[in-house]
Amino acid sequence: MTSAVATPVIAPEIFDDKSARRRRGRPDYVGIGLWISLGITALLWFLPLYLMFMTSVKGRPDLNSTPMWSLPTTWEWGNYASAIDTGDFWTTAGNSLLIAIIKVPLGLAIAAAAAYALARIRFRGGRAVLMVIAIGSMVPVQIGLGPLFSTMLNLGLLDSLYGLILPYLAFGIPYQIFVLYGFFRGVPEELEESARIDGASTFRIFWQIVLPLAKPALAALFVLDFVATWNEYAMATTLLRTQSNWTIPLAVQSFSTQYGTDYGPMNAFIFMSAIPVLIVYLLFQRYFVQGALAGAVKG
Amino acid sequence: MATVALVTEGRAKRRTPKHHRLTLALPYLIPAVVLYGWFLLYPMLDAVRLSFFEWSGFRIQEPVWVGFDNYVRLFTQDAVFWTAFGNSVVWVILSLILPTGIALILALGLNRKMVGRNLMRAVFYIPAVFASITVAAMWRWIYNPTLGFVNQFLEAVGLGAWTQSWLGDPQFALGSIFIANIWQAVGFSMVLFLAGLQTVPVELIEAAKLDGANAWQRFRAVTVPALRPTTIVVIILTIINSLKVFDLVVGMTGGGPAQSTQVLALWSYTQSFTNHQFGMGGAVATVLLIVTLALVIPYMAWSMKGEDR
Repeated sequence: MTSAVATPVIAPEIFDDKSARRRRGRPDYVGIGLWISLGITALLWFLPLYLMFMTSVKGRPDLNSTPMWSLPTTWEWGNYASAIDTGDFWTTAGNSLLIAIIKVPLGLAIAAAAAYALARIRFRGGRAVLMVIAIGSMVPVQIGLGPLFSTMLNLGLLDSLYGLILPYLAFGIPYQIFVLYGFFRGVPEELEESARIDGASTFRIFWQIVLPLAKPALAALFVLDFVATWNEYAMATTLLRTQSNWTIPLAVQSFSTQYGTDYGPMNAFIFMSAIPVLIVYLLFQRYFVQGALAGAVKG
Repeated sequence: MATVALVTEGRAKRRTPKHHRLTLALPYLIPAVVLYGWFLLYPMLDAVRLSFFEWSGFRIQEPVWVGFDNYVRLFTQDAVFWTAFGNSVVWVILSLILPTGIALILALGLNRKMVGRNLMRAVFYIPAVFASITVAAMWRWIYNPTLGFVNQFLEAVGLGAWTQSWLGDPQFALGSIFIANIWQAVGFSMVLFLAGLQTVPVELIEAAKLDGANAWQRFRAVTVPALRPTTIVVIILTIINSLKVFDLVVGMTGGGPAQSTQVLALWSYTQSFTNHQFGMGGAVATVLLIVTLALVIPYMAWSMKGEDR
């Protein structure tokens, strides 16, 4: 499963001069050295994950008396059950999922429509609108958090799970418009023109011609947005109060009390909380890379 | 013949006056503009407005106009602000060097066909899918002074004298948080660089090989130019993410000890929501906004160049 996560890029072997060397009958020292250093770095990167896992299967006595990297003397799989309990996993994961399932497709649809108008209809003032929106994709969320709190309070949407979707949409849309605009700009005009002559409406052109062409970008944005929404903390912690409304990132707080932190169950919870994101990533990874590529090249 | 007719007709269509096209565009544009304006643009501009008021944030109290007082206080009396400002600057600079450099090196290495390549890519990418707030919780445990990995490891290899209260010592806290940030941030930039490496024209590499260019020359002459657009995107995203850093600091130190890990985004938040000084919070937010725009607008100008409107 893990190896599949990483297939993102099937790259041409640009630096691969291994075959050339092999022909000359010399061992590929560069390749071996590279492999060893990459392997060591990868182990270093894996280490925190390993430590987390070890912590997630140890009871308190083991945590207090054995080194962090050692295997547990008794495997405390019960930590996972108590993580579900303490972190109220089904409620918080349900809340996060609910938000993501509504927010991500809706946001993409709204962003795609706007990007279409900006890139293909090209009306007066479009460039200024694009500029203002693009800048919005770059400004830190925290700048507006104070006033956003007041806005949500005035709307009676403070501490509302569905209410949170509105600012989430607003903060996701600019970047998506920015990326999709680049994509739509690349659609050949002839495609659109011939459809128009065949009598297609603007909406049909958007829905049946332009949008399908943007599938890789949409898939990439879907993954990025799902991950970002699932993991969002700053706005959620500002705008949600009641524990039954908490999302996954807020629930991590449940493991710390004034008496200390329950590290075993907490690490179990962290692992479980990443599962939906990994699933989405695995499902869309093929497109994700094409989209990341397009986004990167577009500039 | 038919195509010619199609094209001319199409051209005519495109010459629809621009104000007419606006009515056509509005239905597509309105949902995005309303949401963006209401829940992002307005709060941000309102933060700037609030920076000229003194306000506790409580509804029963009216904001009081104080002009530039908040800024004067911020620049002359608020020592925490300068710490936060400095830390944010340091964070941006370090982020541009360390995680970005590591990501580039890893991408170049992992672009080569080798055993276990996919597994390695996975290992580097997985930290990026964890929520930053959970990464903070994980690493707080790793840095735990008595039971945490770092100190236990130092003891085990005989470097017991080096053990520290990593997050509790103002000297080490920010660096310790930054290491967790490197761990998490490398994967995403690496994927972007790997994607960018796909745009390196293979024919050019082959041609250079035939001309006898060595690996370094091929890298300099072909790979580096081809990677330029990707690099610019990675750099801009890194800057933006560095200015946004919040979750990691909140989760690991909350800005402490003694405000030593304070950053602009968190200080703005703390002033507003903890100290109930929405005016001061707004002033910090405004400074952060100006810093962000100063870094981002040149990029925007560059990226919009060549658009034909």
